[in-house]
Amino acid sequence: MFNETVISEINEIRGKYPDRRSALLPSLYIAQREFGWLSHEAMTCVAKTLNLPEADVRGTASFYSMFKNAPVGRHVIQICTNVSCMILGAEKLVDIVGAKYGVTSGGTSEDGRFSLVIMECIGACGTAPAMLVDTDFYENLTETNILEILDKYK
Amino acid sequence: MITLTINGKEITLDKPITVLEAARQSGIKIPTLCAHEVLKPYGGCRLCVVEVERMPRLQTACTLMAADGMEVRTESETISEVRRGILEFLLINHPLDCPYCDKAGECELQDLVNKYGPTVGRHKEEKRKVAESHKDQIFSRNMERCVSCTRCVRMCSDMQGASAISMIARGTHTRMEPFTADSFNCEYCGNCLSVCPVGAILSRLSLHSYRPWQVDKEVETICSYCGVGCTLVVQVRDDAIKRVIPKMGAGINNGMLCSRGRFGYEYIGSEERLRVPLVRKNGKLEQSTWSEALGLIAEKLTEIRNTNGGKAIAGIASPRCSNEDNYVFQKFMRMTCKTNNIDSVSRTGFAAAQKYFEDLLGQGITGNLIDGLKHSETILVLGGDPTAVNPILGLAIREAARDGANIIVLGNAKGLEKFKTVQVVPPVFNEAVVLEEVLTEVFKAKGVRGERPFVDKELKLLSKRTSGKVDIEGYEELKKALLETESLSIVLGMDMVQRTDGHRTLFAVAALTYLLEARLYTLSERANEQGLIDAGCVPDMLPGGRPINISDFKVKFETVWKGTIPDEDGLTLLEIIEGTRNKDIKALYVMGENPVFNIPDGSSVKEALGNLDFMVVQDIFLTETGEMADVVLPALGWTERIGTYTNLERRIQLQKKAVESSSGMEDWRILSELSNKMEYKMKYMQAEDVMHEMAKVSPLYSELTYSEIAEGECLWPYHGEPLRGEINEVPEMLDVAGDYRADFYLALEKPLFHSGSLSRRSQALMKIYPEASLKVGAASAEKLGLTDGDKVQISTSAGSLDTSVIIEDSIKDNRVYMSNNFAGSGVFNLMKFNVDKVTKAPGIEGCEVTIKKL
Repeated sequence: MFNETVISEINEIRGKYPDRRSALLPSLYIAQREFGWLSHEAMTCVAKTLNLPEADVRGTASFYSMFKNAPVGRHVIQICTNVSCMILGAEKLVDIVGAKYGVTSGGTSEDGRFSLVIMECIGACGTAPAMLVDTDFYENLTETNILEILDKYK
Repeated sequence: MITLTINGKEITLDKPITVLEAARQSGIKIPTLCAHEVLKPYGGCRLCVVEVERMPRLQTACTLMAADGMEVRTESETISEVRRGILEFLLINHPLDCPYCDKAGECELQDLVNKYGPTVGRHKEEKRKVAESHKDQIFSRNMERCVSCTRCVRMCSDMQGASAISMIARGTHTRMEPFTADSFNCEYCGNCLSVCPVGAILSRLSLHSYRPWQVDKEVETICSYCGVGCTLVVQVRDDAIKRVIPKMGAGINNGMLCSRGRFGYEYIGSEERLRVPLVRKNGKLEQSTWSEALGLIAEKLTEIRNTNGGKAIAGIASPRCSNEDNYVFQKFMRMTCKTNNIDSVSRTGFAAAQKYFEDLLGQGITGNLIDGLKHSETILVLGGDPTAVNPILGLAIREAARDGANIIVLGNAKGLEKFKTVQVVPPVFNEAVVLEEVLTEVFKAKGVRGERPFVDKELKLLSKRTSGKVDIEGYEELKKALLETESLSIVLGMDMVQRTDGHRTLFAVAALTYLLEARLYTLSERANEQGLIDAGCVPDMLPGGRPINISDFKVKFETVWKGTIPDEDGLTLLEIIEGTRNKDIKALYVMGENPVFNIPDGSSVKEALGNLDFMVVQDIFLTETGEMADVVLPALGWTERIGTYTNLERRIQLQKKAVESSSGMEDWRILSELSNKMEYKMKYMQAEDVMHEMAKVSPLYSELTYSEIAEGECLWPYHGEPLRGEINEVPEMLDVAGDYRADFYLALEKPLFHSGSLSRRSQALMKIYPEASLKVGAASAEKLGLTDGDKVQISTSAGSLDTSVIIEDSIKDNRVYMSNNFAGSGVFNLMKFNVDKVTKAPGIEGCEVTIKKL
């Protein structure tokens, strides 16, 4: 179960809405932060805290791709490979990151440091290629600076 | 008034409804996959598109409200083309395994494709592959067939209120799954099955065992389990029940069923059924013949009656048997055996409560319709979980909650956890005290009502006794809700009656009903608890609730029955058991009941019955009591014979015959054959003859016929003449307050999946709930250091047994619960009791229990 701090954090969110169902998405983010991914245990915790049916929580959690339904590394790299990024070499970046940390798309490196996700457009076409590391945003990536950036995430 | 035309037919509506609904009402069929008559409009599948004059595009009939002057067409070449297109999309992934799928023949998708096409699909892509899941014991889940109409999910959340399943993922990966992704672990009502348009969810009970068109017959009848009496349809093939399905729009349940009703039918076809009469020879029960068995009973009962008088004979009737069975039973006991010692296990709850309420407030006070609950502003639930004891009544409470009603729960009620607005958990066994306190507050606020002066007088006395000080969470809300409500319903479970101070709870509930003009509902675990009272299977009343000690009534019955009825009131259930213990009672006749198992402190009951000179048991199984009997007679069960049942609303309904049993006789027929041998003539040829006589002799059933009952609206007070309450003083209020400071108290669990000992012969219910376990609240578990699945030994002053633990968050106090449904682990065996001197029900409070981890 969540600790007291997390429960009060969720209760605070709950207080912002007339319907406790509305607090579900932000609560799932908190659960993902606490557990790393949305395991059955994590979803049960959310369901109990919000007094919502477990099945409803899972239905919602499984709809959105930014909720993780399997364990991930300590940091999640999400690289865009849609048109603008692709033209400016995003696929090459994916290969470089993969070679350096031994991680393939949808997988996690052996040391559990990074998970790699190929994501759809994040609206940074003018400054492509772009990526997200956890919740941090990076643009104008090059073959060199991407490794420097990732080096900061241990 | 709204007038519209659909396909040129003019339709007038008195309230605004959807075009789909309007078409349905006037017999025009519009195809739907996501819309269903019991569910709310959804607008997902688009198959119900129609053309509406002056509207630019096709409209979905399920979401379009009918408006005045609308001109609607439901079939045209354009519409057909659109429907064909939608179906073609659905068939991209639907596997077309119809020859293998159980749904073929009653599949809505199959029917639609048959009507609209397409005959050939243009999509060449691979179909999605999802393995069929058999990980659940009851449901088979095939998500390749699923068309994502979400009917099952909406049924589960909006109608059943269980919210056990949901749509998982999105796009082509969308599928229905329970939370665990394999076992459903839910209330197993199976209502998702009834609405699935395709073969995506199927029952494993009948999987691949027959085709819908191979059913020999379908019989619409009434469920055999609880006191609600749901309408259901039994499908029969080769003289065996293949499936039980609901009938939409029919009966009290309007298409909803519970796990017992839908999946609990297998006991009828059980191998363990009694087939031939058994007679004890040299201390052992041996197979015998009807003539030998009945001859022996007639001889023995006549002998005991002639030597010791009728008082030495007693009978235990059955709330599982029909009105006809029970009527003939009491007539047999009174006229043939010359005794009024007739009672039933209902005395441990329902019958005790009923008598108290009717004495105080008049006959018919509990004759309230379940539908009325849905329209209550406030519902007070106490003494048990209605969603487990009477699941369909529980659904009405959930529906009221969804419509904003105040649901106040006193004590524990698991099925209302997500629906309650206030919960009050008094210290154990102090419920009556809390009720009396709140009653006093209500009395002070509302004042004397004046209609029943003796109740008002008692209320005045009570207000001097109460302290006005209650410090329990939720109490103030309870008080406020009761004082402010315009429309109150009270739902009383029998846990609160099984106390030595049960009568005080009953008084408080009766007085609240009286002061607030509430609707009162008493939960009834067995199908005919009300009917057996009305049929006269009580020691103090003749059929129709006519007191024996009023000679005018007695004489009327004696004239029709041609004989004399014993004068004195008979003994109640627990007095009968005591009577056998001290050998005042020499012979006991048990019909469809298992007192050794179904009365608290079973081993002491067994010991008492051991003293009998002669015991007859007629039943459909050889029960623990049957094993002790001198003669055991095989009776017929549900769907094997016709008969009427009176539900907890006092609605009389007809249970019909669906299968032919090769052996056994109707209970009433056994009794009348026996009576004829004992020289008191009974000339019934069929069950209807018994009803005919009841209608003639019982003032309550006057002029009732099977054809009227079969219509389903045979409601209290029928054509009868109810009596007013016959007492003019509230029975004495006893001060039996105890000091309950033990760590844990043992209480009776009433599981949703079981009822009495019938359900343990239904394999499906045994798969869902295979064995007794100890249900412990989270706080108690922590105190004991227990986790789920731990083995424990529980001991009370009556004995001990080993079991495993399940932690149940909904238990908020230091009670621990265990069921009384499984052979060898019935919790009643561990419970000693004192008798409530007023209601004669057993008081099983204060059952201290020690729990040792093994």
